[in-house]
Amino acid sequence: MSPGKTKGIGPYLLIAPAGLLLAVFLVLPYLNIGVMSFRVPGQGTPYGEGFTLVNYARFFADSFYIWQVVNTLWIGFLTTAICLVIGFPVAWQLTRPNMRFRGLAYGLVLSPLLVGIVIRSYGWTILLGNNGLINRTLTNMGLIDSPLPLMYNALGIIIALVHVFLPFMILPIMNGIQGIDPSLEAAARSLGASRTTAFRRIVLPLSMPGIQAGCILVFVLSLSAYVTPSLIGGLKVKTMAVTVVDALIDTFQWPFGSALALMLSVTGAVIVVIFGRMTRMKWKVA
Amino acid sequence: MTEVSIEKLTKSYGNARAVNAISMKIAEGEFISLLGPSGCGKTTTLKMIAGFEDVTEGAIRFDGQDVVNTPAEKRDIGMVFQNYALFPHMTVEQNLAFGLEMRKVPKPQMRERIAKVLDMVQLKGYEARYPRQLSGGQQQRVALGRALVIEPKILLLDEPLANLDAKLREEMRVFIRDLQRRVGITTVYVTHDQAEAMTMSDRVVVMFGGRIAQIGSPTDIYERPENHEVAEFVGQVNLVQAKVESVGEGTATVTSPLGDFTLPTKISVKPGNMVSLALRPEAIELSKATEGQPAATVLASYYSGALMDYRLKLDNGDELHAQTFPVNRFAEGDRVALHAPAERFWLVGVSK
Ligand SMILES: Nc1ncnc2c1ncn2[C@@H]1O[C@H](COP(=O)(O)OP(=O)(O)OP(=O)(O)O)[C@@H](O)[C@H]1O
Ligand SMILES: [Mg+2]
Repeated sequence: MSPGKTKGIGPYLLIAPAGLLLAVFLVLPYLNIGVMSFRVPGQGTPYGEGFTLVNYARFFADSFYIWQVVNTLWIGFLTTAICLVIGFPVAWQLTRPNMRFRGLAYGLVLSPLLVGIVIRSYGWTILLGNNGLINRTLTNMGLIDSPLPLMYNALGIIIALVHVFLPFMILPIMNGIQGIDPSLEAAARSLGASRTTAFRRIVLPLSMPGIQAGCILVFVLSLSAYVTPSLIGGLKVKTMAVTVVDALIDTFQWPFGSALALMLSVTGAVIVVIFGRMTRMKWKVA
Repeated sequence: MTEVSIEKLTKSYGNARAVNAISMKIAEGEFISLLGPSGCGKTTTLKMIAGFEDVTEGAIRFDGQDVVNTPAEKRDIGMVFQNYALFPHMTVEQNLAFGLEMRKVPKPQMRERIAKVLDMVQLKGYEARYPRQLSGGQQQRVALGRALVIEPKILLLDEPLANLDAKLREEMRVFIRDLQRRVGITTVYVTHDQAEAMTMSDRVVVMFGGRIAQIGSPTDIYERPENHEVAEFVGQVNLVQAKVESVGEGTATVTSPLGDFTLPTKISVKPGNMVSLALRPEAIELSKATEGQPAATVLASYYSGALMDYRLKLDNGDELHAQTFPVNRFAEGDRVALHAPAERFWLVGVSK
């Protein structure tokens, strides 16, 4: 009997705790947000009586919000791309069998996760601000006259997000590369491939599952990031997540905030699905 | 076709010598097996020939050319790995094409060569499958095809049958051997299975602890092992105590419970020495006990289909293992007479 054909409730019992957790902390809140997004905006209360489409109408009517989604997506794309470009070589190096100081390097990779996200983002404001370390140093060295605009813009947000999310790119890629049988590289070499060709034709495509996972993780995390964009972007540059929280908490517009949140989630999900489709590995699903 | 010569080849890992100054010459088109227990340095030797492992000392020559400093991809070697090492993200056809692409073989010629090899390894119709859609034996044949399609100088195989079940293993043995004969490629085959080495090879290299214990034809290795270790490794062997009566020119005459023999000897012995007579179980024939024949008592008998195995006890208390065709069967407690031709015995040192 193959395990795939096991009958009975055994397997379901095994995933029951996870399922329950998902239901309570993911599905229910989403349903709640979904319902809320169709409620009538309240007067003095978070929401009013009855249901309406007015919240969505307001979103699509105002290009300000649409642009904000686009900007948020851009920040997500760039953060992901930069994390990939920086992260892949690091992951590759960390999986080399003769790597020295592996423990130390691994610790460095994980270090952003060891400090709370607020502190990390605050740290970046110290570095990036107009009076921050970078600008002061450059000014003192006489390299610039006026401070470089590093904060309160998308650039600053991306720099900080890359730092914060880099481990989420490196770890899945490392995992992927470690799963590649070293004799595959040897086989490619014996068939006449140089080291570079063996890397390009064998190692790189086989690390795609890790790359895919890392990209999705970083992209999704970037879209939903709140603390970093709000600290670094300030009042000038707002990502969608920041606007959503503003709507929900500052101005108590629960229905509209919910609609905004859903619009962001849906676009994000659509992009992830398209990305997943584009990078689907035929040899894996076979 | 290529002749390989290996001289005083050594590989050290720190202070440990995985391969210790081994030398051998492999003739053009020869099928040679490296046989030895786990950890004796077979894979390391193969990796050095392939160029995956640096050589600590010594030389490897292909047709007289030293290749020690030639990178793996320039050595023109076809290698079959124990776990096949097929590229999982490529179809059978793409796996086979890889080596040809590296050699910049033009497309039409490439298709032709792939088709020819697929025919050879009997995998026509499997071009579009991914490795994980193939059985172990099929993957094995793809690996073989991928190594052969580049028409390499030398074929190296590292325990290529270890992961197959017994029946398939025997089929593949014959398959690989026949294919190698047809292609006529110089082949080095690593295995720790003595039967595999015996049936496939022109010559067998028996290795222990990084050194070569004996090089010879399967018959040499089996019937004229140079020492006890080799004898034990390539098959079962009985040891019977014997006493040296007289010594001649390269021969010794001994008395033993199995009779008196005059045998060639490579070890130096003196009259009066106690030595061991070695004898393979299948060299013994059994019949009903008669007067004047060396005899033994059957302790146990095991039927294995093609053969009978007997555990026997000599009158001096020594035990023997005999293997015969199941024509005359004997039961536990039977008295049997032992027959063994003198040429099947050899002397192995002073008995311990
Ligand atoms: N990278 C390495 N570092 C240190 N020692 C090694 C290394 N590779 C192999 N060895 C040692 O060298 C010796 C020979 O190894 P090798 O892999 O050649 O054995 P083998 O004969 O192929 O054995 P098996 O039949 O188990 O495959 C072993 O003792 C092994 O522990
Ligand atoms: Mg080995």
